[in-house]
Parts: sequence; structure tokens; C-alpha cells
Amino acid sequence: MTDQNTSTSTSGYGAASGSAPVPSPFAGLPRKVDAAIGKGLARITGGPVAPYQSAVIRIGFSLTWLAFLLREWVHRDELYGPDSPWSWSMARALIATNHAFTVLMWSDSRAWFEFVYAAAIAASVMLLVGWRTRTASLLFMIGVLALQNRSVFEGDGGDNVIHIMAIYLVFARCGQVWSLDARRARRSADRDRDRDWDRDRDRDPVGIVMWVVFAAVLALVTVLGKLSTGWALILWGFLAAQAAWWLVRRYAPGEPRTVMTMVGNVVHAGAMLVIVVEVCLIYSTAGWYKITGSRWEDGTALYYPLHLADFTPWPALSHALGSSGLIVMLITYGTVAVQVAFPFTLFNRRVKNVLLVMMMCEHAGIAVVLGLPFFSLAMITADSVFLPTSFLRWVGDRVVRALPGRRAVVPRQRSEGEPSASTLPV
Amino acid sequence: MEPPETRAADEADEADEAGEAVEVGERVPVDGPPGEPELPDSQEISDLQLTSVSLTSRIVIALTVAAVIVGAAFHLGMVFLSIAPSNTLSQQYSTTINDYVYPEFEQNWKLFAPNPLQENDDVQARAEVLMPDGTSTTTGWVDLTALDQAQIVHNPFPSHTQQNELRRAWSFYTDSHDSQGHPVGLRGTLAQEYVLRIVAHRFGPHLNGGTVQRIQVRSADTPVGSPPWSGDSNGTSTATSYQPQPWWNVSSEDFT
Repeated sequence: MTDQNTSTSTSGYGAASGSAPVPSPFAGLPRKVDAAIGKGLARITGGPVAPYQSAVIRIGFSLTWLAFLLREWVHRDELYGPDSPWSWSMARALIATNHAFTVLMWSDSRAWFEFVYAAAIAASVMLLVGWRTRTASLLFMIGVLALQNRSVFEGDGGDNVIHIMAIYLVFARCGQVWSLDARRARRSADRDRDRDWDRDRDRDPVGIVMWVVFAAVLALVTVLGKLSTGWALILWGFLAAQAAWWLVRRYAPGEPRTVMTMVGNVVHAGAMLVIVVEVCLIYSTAGWYKITGSRWEDGTALYYPLHLADFTPWPALSHALGSSGLIVMLITYGTVAVQVAFPFTLFNRRVKNVLLVMMMCEHAGIAVVLGLPFFSLAMITADSVFLPTSFLRWVGDRVVRALPGRRAVVPRQRSEGEPSASTLPV
Repeated sequence: MEPPETRAADEADEADEAGEAVEVGERVPVDGPPGEPELPDSQEISDLQLTSVSLTSRIVIALTVAAVIVGAAFHLGMVFLSIAPSNTLSQQYSTTINDYVYPEFEQNWKLFAPNPLQENDDVQARAEVLMPDGTSTTTGWVDLTALDQAQIVHNPFPSHTQQNELRRAWSFYTDSHDSQGHPVGLRGTLAQEYVLRIVAHRFGPHLNGGTVQRIQVRSADTPVGSPPWSGDSNGTSTATSYQPQPWWNVSSEDFT
């Protein structure tokens, strides 16, 4: 800046000095910050944030893992069973060094393996339909960790995403909508409106039986010394929380229940934050490392995977795609640009949605062209946490209307002999 | 509680609601009595007011909020440092980071980065078999990777056993062996046993009318080569190079 300019601007201020001073942009800032914090607190305590987004990732990840387990049913023994080339004793030797958690290390018997594989499928179904979602999410995580940690060298990026998200989902109240739990809660709310609250109906015998069974199993494995201290604390803590929730619902429906629900909502909000940031980290690091690669710089990177035999189930299609230098370069550059840019577009709803569509399309393409359907489905699920609520509700509405037997449930909702409402947090 | 993003409600949102009103007419909404607008379930279940609870309760909630914020920040910080390129902070706290992140939060998003794999590495194996007449013969090389790939072609859902097993076992093997082919630490030993067992499982104990005694493995590495439409296609060789490993004795347990 020259002296002349400085003097001009000084005189400019001088001219303005006669009128009212320019209002400070920071005026009232503390009050605004206070209001924003208050609003944020009200939002994360008042109810579970992003109920549709948490439900869609619950459904997506459980569906991906379920489809994978069913697809690999014929290969289950080779992948995770007693006849795997990665033998049980080799797995134990490796786990002794990294302390990964897998219930498959509790016994090397075939019966135990078959039980765990079947239980992992059952837990996926349970989480998918949202039946006792809190319990289902924990069982789902135990199933995912059991199989993946048993044979770490069988997995790929898709398994990695499911592994991490399965842990996060335990802390998210992901069954608030689109779940059997939500339907049950709705029906019991209807009953409450129709007649006086009948407390005896809220005993939840199924929940009690499940809790007792799990407590007995957990006590047994704790006594047998199968659990590390950390995992024992987590699992016992979870069981204690379930019991506390039941007691509070039944005996302290006033403020204690409100506080406990709020605590659950806050934990849920934390879990959703972690999930969202995790997805951003996946994209930004994937992009970050690509930027430094010479093949991504010269625009030929895509050509190589299209010629790797492990990733070309449709060689004619892959080679046709790779034969055009323009297409390869556009997709190569586009991939890096989108991956690096994505986290920053979250500040603009429209741009975010456009990029989201592009990324989902790219992953759908990867599913077919590179032969990675389960990886792609996991990534599309991870992307869908950013879908707008209006869109998710619209899709959900379409799906529900398309379901057969929707009318049939209506008359049943107020019948007297309905099974009692859940006492478990959804 | 407002569902997220409803405040930013745009035309799509309004159009959605309008469309619903038209179509809902003949259908009885499952949630709530007829005539009541369909609310997100969360609004029915809990629309809790912070101001409605006592001071003690508010303190409990405040402590939870603080714990969740600290916990989430710590977790995300650790995960970030573990996947970001090595930096001053991650070097300084590498023990803390590794203790926290491994094994359950381990992650790697470097598939095809910094550069995609630019060669097809086929794992091939052959066996020395003892014939019933007491002589030994050596079988020809069997391309196990090519056998897997034959299962992948035109398969919309390739199995992990075909797509990941050999590929990852081999990279585990090469990562845990030094340039002379000696195993490094426990991982090296495990990797060698793993590759041997994969080959043994696929060969079976009997081959070409004899009993398998020893197995040799090699990788056949064929560069993809530069794209024909890129300028430098003349400079890259696409000739296959072989990395043979020593012969390994096979025991009966390796087949089970």
C-alpha cells in the first residue's frame, strides 16, 4: 500500500466520523454464541439427532454384512472356520500380539464356529429390521469382530468400513424410525392415548428373558477368563445400562427417565458426529494420498485397475473403458477432486448433494466394473449418512407404500391382547 | 426437536409435503389417529425440554455432554493421526496412537494410492511328489491366481476366497520378508505358513498320482504397461519376471 492510499483511507474515515460509528460486527456476539450453544444443547438432548440418517446406515451396514455372510456361506469354513488355511492356532498367535477381540478364539470346535456364523447372520437380520435395536447392534458388532478378527487377511476396504461402523452403531440410537422397535413404540403410545396407563403391561417379559440369558453367558465367560478387562467393562456396562433403563421406565417414569433418555440422546449425537467425521476422514485421506501419486497426476491411474485381473470381472467392459484416454483422465482427475473436496462441500447443502450423487454413482460403477459389490454397498451406505432428511422420508414413504400387507397392520394396533411394549431403549 | 436439515427446508421439502397430502387421502396413516399429521417418530417418542429438569439433572447432562465431546474429540484425533501421513505429532505420540487405534480402529484407505498397483502378481506353485514306486517327480507350475481369476470373470459377486485370499496372503508374505527372502519376526513365520497352507489346501495331499512332499512357490509379476494412448508406451516392458521362493516341506497338518 502506498502512502497516498493510506492518506485517502484516513480521510475517508474522517468523513464518516460525523455520522454514527460503523456498528461492530462483533456486537452481541457473546449473546449469539450463548444462544447457539443453548439451541445446540436443546437439540442434542431433546431427541435423537438425525433419526433417518442413523436408520439408513443401520439398514445399509447390516444389509451389506448380511448379504456378504450369505454369499460366503459356501466358503465360510475356508474363510473363518476350523479348515481355514489361516488356522485357528495361527490366528491365536497373531491375536496374542495385537489383542483383537473375537469370540471365535474361545473355542476351536466346529460347533462353536457354526454357531457364531449363524448368530452373526441372525444379529444382522435383527439389526436390519430393528428388533431390540440396542441389543441387536451389540450382537452385530460382536459378530463382525468375531469373524473379521479371526481372519484379518481375508478382508478388504469394505470389511474395514463395516468393522468400524459396527462399533460406532452400538452408541447410536439407530432404531428410532424404520424399525420394529419404532412400530412397537408407536403402538404402545396409541394404547396410552386410548386408556389409562397399565403399568403391568410394561414388564417386557421377552426383554427380561433376553437380559437374564445374556447376563448368564457374560458371567460364565467372565468366570472362565475369556474376556479382557476392557471388553468385560464394556459388555457389563452395556448390560447394566439395559437394566437401569428397564428399572427407570418401570419405577421412575418421571425425571430419572427423562434424564436417562437425554443422556442416551447425547451419546447418540456423539456417535453420529464420529460417524460423519469418519466418512470425511476416509475420503480426505484417500484423496490426500492420491494427490501425491504420479499416475493420478498424469491422469492414467484408472487405466491400471482396469487391467488388474483380480478387479476385472468384465474384461471387455474394463478394457473398453480404459481404451479412451479422455474418459480415463476425466474419471482419474474427477475421483481425486471429489474425494478431496467432499468434506468442504458439507457447508453448502446443494453442492454437497451434487457430490453425494456423484460419489454414489462412482461406487455403483466400482461395484460392477471392479467386482467389489460389498465394498461399494458399504461405501454407498457410509455416503447416505449425508442424505437430506426430506429425501430419506420420501424414499421411506415410497418403500412403505410398496410393501405388501401395510393395511393389515392397521386394525391390529389397538387390539387388547397386544404384546407389551418394549422397556428397552430403542 | 427439529429433525436435521428441516430448517434448511427447500423446495424439495415443500413439494414432498404437498405430494403427500394429495396421496394420503385414501390411505390411513399408520402412525397416530387419522387427521393428525404424520410426525417423525422421534418427535412422538421424546421431545424433551432441558429446562424442565432439576439442577442436579442438568449437571448430570452437562457432564455427559462434556464427556462425549472430549471422548469424540480424542477418538477422532487419534484416528486422524493414525491415517494421516507421518507428521511431527504422530511421531511424538506414536505409542499412544497405536495403543488406542490397534486393533479395532485400524484403517487403511490407500487402495490404489499413492499409485494403483501397476502389475499383475500371480502366485504360482509346484510340488515335489513321491510316487508309489519310490521315485520323486516335480509337477509343473500351477497358476493359483489365474485359477481364482477364472472364478471372478463374469461373476458379479466374487468371493473373498477368490479375490482377497491369495492376493493379501502374498502381500503379507512379501511385507514380512526381507530382500533375501528371510522371514522377519512372528509375522514373517506366520505369513510363510499361511502361503504354504493355502497352496497345500488347493493342491491336496495327492497330486499326479503321488504324495505331495514339498512345495515351492513363486510370484510371476507382469507389468500392465503404460496405456497405449499415453506417449511413453515404448519405454515400459511388460515382460513377466519370476520371484521363486525356497522349497518348503509339507506336513500332514498343512492340508487340514
